[in-house]
Formats: sequence, structure tokens, C-alpha cells
Amino acid sequence: MLMSMDSRVVAGLTLLAGTLLLPATQAGPTLEAQERSILSKEVAVGRAEAALGLEFRDGERLDIELRESSVFIDGDVVGAYSPGDALDEAFRALLGRAVALDDGPLTEMLVEWSPPADLPEDRQLLAGRIDRSLETALTAEEAVEEAAEATAPDQGAPERIRVEGGNEGRLIAALLSQANRLGLLDEALAQVDEVEIHVGDDVMVEAGRTVEGALLVVEADARIAGTVTGDVIVVDGTLELLNGGSVEGDVRLADGEFVQAGGSLSGEVRRLTDEDRVTFGADDAPADLRDRIRDELREEVRNEVRRSVDVDSGFDLGSGILAPFRGVFRALGGILETLVGVLLTGLIGVGLVAFAPGNLDTVAQTARRSPGRAWMVGMAGTFLLLPVYVLGIVALAISIVGIPVLLAWVPLFPLAVMAAAVLGYVAVARNVGEWLAESDFRFTDWIRPSNAVYTVFGGLLGLSAFFLVSEALHILPFSGFFRGLLTFAGVVATLGAGLVGFGSVLLTRAGRRPEVYPMDPEEAWRQAVDPDLESELDLGDDPSSHAGAGSEGVYRD
Amino acid sequence: MTRRTSGLIGTVALALVSLLGVGPEAAEAQDWRTVNLSRQDDGIADAQVEVTYGAGRFTVGTAGHGLLYDMQLHYDADHFEPVADWDGRRLELGVEGRGRNIRLGNGRDQGELQLGLARGVPMDLTLEFGAVQADLDLGGLQLTGLDLSTGASESTLDVSEPNPTRMQRAVFEVGAADFTARRLGNLHAQTIEVSAGVGSLTLWLNGEWEQDASVSVKMGLGSLELRVPEGLGLRLNKESFLTSLDADGLEKRGDSYYSADWDEAERRVTVDLNAAFGGVEVSWVR
Repeated sequence: MLMSMDSRVVAGLTLLAGTLLLPATQAGPTLEAQERSILSKEVAVGRAEAALGLEFRDGERLDIELRESSVFIDGDVVGAYSPGDALDEAFRALLGRAVALDDGPLTEMLVEWSPPADLPEDRQLLAGRIDRSLETALTAEEAVEEAAEATAPDQGAPERIRVEGGNEGRLIAALLSQANRLGLLDEALAQVDEVEIHVGDDVMVEAGRTVEGALLVVEADARIAGTVTGDVIVVDGTLELLNGGSVEGDVRLADGEFVQAGGSLSGEVRRLTDEDRVTFGADDAPADLRDRIRDELREEVRNEVRRSVDVDSGFDLGSGILAPFRGVFRALGGILETLVGVLLTGLIGVGLVAFAPGNLDTVAQTARRSPGRAWMVGMAGTFLLLPVYVLGIVALAISIVGIPVLLAWVPLFPLAVMAAAVLGYVAVARNVGEWLAESDFRFTDWIRPSNAVYTVFGGLLGLSAFFLVSEALHILPFSGFFRGLLTFAGVVATLGAGLVGFGSVLLTRAGRRPEVYPMDPEEAWRQAVDPDLESELDLGDDPSSHAGAGSEGVYRD
Repeated sequence: MTRRTSGLIGTVALALVSLLGVGPEAAEAQDWRTVNLSRQDDGIADAQVEVTYGAGRFTVGTAGHGLLYDMQLHYDADHFEPVADWDGRRLELGVEGRGRNIRLGNGRDQGELQLGLARGVPMDLTLEFGAVQADLDLGGLQLTGLDLSTGASESTLDVSEPNPTRMQRAVFEVGAADFTARRLGNLHAQTIEVSAGVGSLTLWLNGEWEQDASVSVKMGLGSLELRVPEGLGLRLNKESFLTSLDADGLEKRGDSYYSADWDEAERRVTVDLNAAFGGVEVSWVR
């Protein structure tokens, strides 16, 4: 809304505060007026929130909230408070009384409520605002009009200001709550004749729209894609001049920011605070500020690199006398870590050898004789794990009888999968151990093929060989590429062993159902009559490998 | 999937999550909030009322004069928000999750929902709750229908005053719970259906039966105790797998068990029992 204004507008606004607020807090509407009927009530109290919501029979609402250190009335910020301060306590006390009441008695109590007299002055104003909102909302139109007449300015008072996007009270409250800004506003509004004022609500001047005269935005943001023929004044907010937008006057900022994202500004930008908060881009920043930022960034990067090195190594060797041995420590640490993993897995393997030797034999045999088939089954099983798990949950949940099973299914299925994976991996490791034992490598002579514990540990070490060598290479400088290759090979070996093992577990139902292969009678007979062939057989000393016809030839490979 | 089934899944899932205490946010401080919500009944002819609650304490009773509902809710605002929607025909009350990780009662603090419903408004009532300790008194409510689903709870239902109207069917679906229902006769239901997964069921068949009625009980695993007032004719049809029956005072005729005064009784209740595992005990109360 346009209006005429002289340069002493602030004085007018201040007077307006007196005409609007003070009579309201002191007198208020007459209580004989008809009260509105409350249809529903909502009282909410939390550690950092207190709220009252009322819905009236005519569909209107009133919402008063104290949260996030702000006082909201119907969603608009009307002031600030501190949790636990006198205003907060007074409002919570009011809510405490409201909980027990409904409709008529509630209306009566709320209308009659007055802020405690001992509130500090600034809180008294806010409490008065709450009181006035309650009275205005809870009394019928006649009473509101009566109150408005009672608070209307005299003929001789300054012309009343109409404000878009809010009301006068909000403007006054905003200004009075930050009295230090009045001086800035005075300066900002110097020589402004016509002004459109927005308080507390963000304003958007769309493309094609023209604001005649000046635009004043208080405690809100403005985005301009249209035209403003005068100045744009922003108090505690951000002005964004969009592409196609035009400001034909100056931009005046009182504790505000200006972002020019295209658009044209005919006048100049005037900052009315000591602090430089106008942002045009990095190029306009003072040189010393840029240097300071650059130095801070450098220091931050250095710290980040230092932290990552420390985390990676697990040691903070810094740059002391131990620094040259950093690679050795790192290699030893990595090797130890891998060996601990081998030891733990090996202990599980020992348990399997001791308590489930048959299952382990069956799984190992399947992994040895049908590794390709086992790998494919393992891959398929891995992909199907999640769908089976989820479908199982759904299927059990939809039946009443299935609910107790569901309670077991949720935790036990993942455990069963993990157990299957470990069983399969240990079985494959045992096969690898047997192969190493029979190999010509001298460093595997310690592996006794007749002892499953040896073969399990030997196989686990064999499968971890890539990782161990990779870790050992930390000793050498510039070995990152080779370490990466070895680590990759280790991952492939581990995954391959895991999938073959898992597939073997699935094929043999965890080693309970041996895979049966069709016998080739001719081949069996040929092997039986040819004693020389025995040396070629994969018999080892494992009794399980003598199963069936006692020779590899009768099994499908 | 039916709405009821999905509701039951939801309550069971809610209960599971609450029991497991899942969620990386478990260590975060909670923002407990108390809300009081009420609404005038405003001459409402009838209402379809649906109440949903996840975990905590849950009580239902009657609201003050002139109120459609009066709800007091203590909840963790980080994870839940209250629901109170009325569209002129259907009333939804309770809490709903905010879609983040759920963490419910951990012993330190517990959510609570105290709900009062209008006495004089005919209502079709649906109650869905998860891992709660529920104390429900539906006495005095004008119920045209009742549908109760609970996941893992310890629930007590009482109909302390007779229902001013009659209902065709009352349905109770109990997941894994201790569930006690008292004065079921006051519901004035023609059919009462109880489905229970696992747990302990106690059904008091006392109250004022206005008509002959049938009670159907389907039970997976657990115990069922039927407490029957003297003077009420009782017939028990049992179809079970591995379920014991302790039925002093009942005599077997054909495939059914009958109370001694079945033929002379003014009101008769037939109980159809379908149970998998567990035990059934019938006891008589004065």
C-alpha cells in the first residue's frame, strides 16, 4: 500500500506504537462483548516449546506458540523470548489452566487473562501482544470493533500507516524490539516520499509487476524480478535482485544483505551498518580478507591431510625420530592384523573339525569336485539372500501363527547365513591347505595333510597370502601400486573362495546331504585294474576323499 | 493385503523395532512433549473413530460432557507427532512416526496416551496399538462396532458399563500379548472374534448379555482362560492340534462341551475354539 511519508517517518512510527500498543495493553476490549465459541483446543508443552491452538466454530483459528526463542502468533514472529524467562513461565501457567477447561469456561479464562505485572518491560509488551490476540480472537466482531474504536488515533495524530503482508502491530513490535535499528531506519528512509512496507513476510516482486515508489522490507527477505521505481530499503533481511529485475533508485541496507543475481540497479548500494555485509562476489572482498581466508583454508587442508595420515597408519608417529620406521611399523601392524584374522577364522575351523567333521568333509568335497557349479550356486544364493529374508518376514507377519516364527526368523536368518559362509570358507581353505601340503613348495612342508587342523590353517594362510605380502610391502617406499594389485588379488581370492564355499554349503544342505555323482562303470573298472593310476588320484590322507568308489574317476568333475 | 492385515503388520513391526531398540539415534536426547487435544461433539450424529498408538502406556475411557474426544499425549517429538483429524465423519487419533529411525520406550521415559471418547456419540471404534501397556475401559461408550489390533502388548479391556446400543461384531486381533477382556457381555455384540498369535488370553464372559452370542477364538500358541459367570449357558466347540482342556463343570455331548444349565439358561454363548498349541481352562465365577 502506498502512502506519503516525510523524512521523520520514524517519529511517526514511534507515535503509532503508542497509539496501537499502549491502549491495547492497558484497556482492551470490553468484556461484556459476546464471546466466540471454541470448537477444539490444542495445548502443547515441551522442553523448548509451549503452544496454544484454538479452533472456533466459524472455522477461524488462533495459534500462539513460544518456540525456538521466538513468539509466534498465527505463524508470524512477533518477538523474542528466552526459554524459562518470565514470559515463558507466565504463558506456561496460562496453558496449565487451559488444559482443564473447554469451550465457555476456557474462553472466559483466556479473555480474562492478563500478563503478570512484574514482567520486564520488553516482555510486558510481548505479553500484551499475546493478551490482545486472545481477546481479539475470543470476542465477537462487535467487541473487536469496539476495541478498535477505543484505540483509534485522534484527529491530530499522524496518519495511520497501512502495511502489506502483516499489520501495524507487527511493524511496531519489530521496531521496538530492536530500538537500535530506529536510527538506521531513519537514515534509510531519508528523502523517501512513497513507500510500500512489508514486515516479517518475505516479499516477491514478480516479473512484469511495478512497485511505484520505494519498497521497505523489515525482518524479511525480498526478491525482485519486476521493477521498483524508487529505492529498496531492507532492514535485517536479504535483497535478491533477480535476472530481469530492476531497481531504479538506490539499495539501502540496514543490517541487511544484497545479492545481485542479474537484474539492473540504477542507483548505488548504501550500507547503513559498520559491518560490511554486502556480497557481490569474491572479487569485491578486501584483499586482506581474501588473504586471511586463503591462509585459513590452507591451514585447514594441512590439518586434514595430517589427520588422514594419522588415521591411516593408526599411529601418530609425527615427525619424530621414529618417522623413518613408519613403514616398518605399518607393515608389522598390517601383517599382525591379517594374522589375527586368520587365527580367529582358524579357531572356528578347529571347532568345525572337532564337532562337525562330517559336514566339513562333505562341503569340502563338493567344493573340490564341482567348484564351478558351487560358485554359480553361491552367486545365485548371495543375490537371493535379501529377497528371501524380506519375503520371509512378510510371509510370516501376515499370518497370526507365523508371528512367533517371525521373532526367530529376524535374527536367526542372518546368523545362519554367516555360519554358512564361514563353514564354506573354512572348507575351501582346507582344500587349499591340502593342495599346499602336496605341493612342491618348501615353505609349506609344515602342513601335515593328514591333520585337518594343519590343512585349515595352511589354507587360510594361503588364501591370505596376497594380503600378507601387500602389507609387508609397506616397508618399501613407492610400492603403493603393487600393494593395490596384491590387495585386489586377495579380495578376488577371498570372494572366490567364499562364493564356492557358500555354494557348496547350499548344495549339500550344510554338509548334511553329500552330492552324488553318476558312476561311469567303465572308468571305474579301468582305474581298478590299473594300479599306476592311483598315484594320479586326489586321495591324500583324508579318509573322506576315499569315499564312493575310492577314485576321482568315478565322480563328475 | 487387507487393511487390517497391513495394520497388524505395522503394529507388529512397531513392536519389534521398539523391543530391539534399533537406530543410531538411540543415544540422542529426546524431545518429550505433552499435548492436550479436545474437541466439542457439536451434535455429531455418529463417528468412525480410529486410534493408532505405537508404544507406551495407553488408556481409553470416556470424555467429559460435550466433548467428542479429550486426548492427552506424552510423546517423543523427535520421532512422532500427534494426530487428531476430524473430517465430519471420521476421527483419527493417536501418533504417527516422522519417518526417521524409531526408538521407543527404553525404561527411562515412556510415551503415554490418555484418551477420552464421547459417551453419547454412536461410534465404530478401531484401536490399533503396538508394544503398549493398555488399559481400556469402553464402558459407557455407544459402540456400533469394535475392532482392536495389538502387537506385543499387555492389554486389559473392560466394558464397565453396558453399551447403550448393539453391535454386530467385535474383533480382537492379538499378536504376542497378554490380553484380558472383562465384562464382554456388556459389549452387546452378536459375534466376538478373537485371533491370538502367542501369549496369554483371559476372556471374562460376564456382563449383561442382551442376546445369545457366539465367540470365536483362534489361537496359535499360548493359554486361554475362559471365565464364565454362573447362569450363563456355555457351549464349547474345540478344534485343536496339541491343546489341553481343563473344563470342570462342562459335560461332553457329541463333539461339544456344554455347561450344566445350557438347556435352561436365559442367555447362551457358544465358543468356537481353534487352537494349535497350548492350554484352555474354563472356570466359573459368581
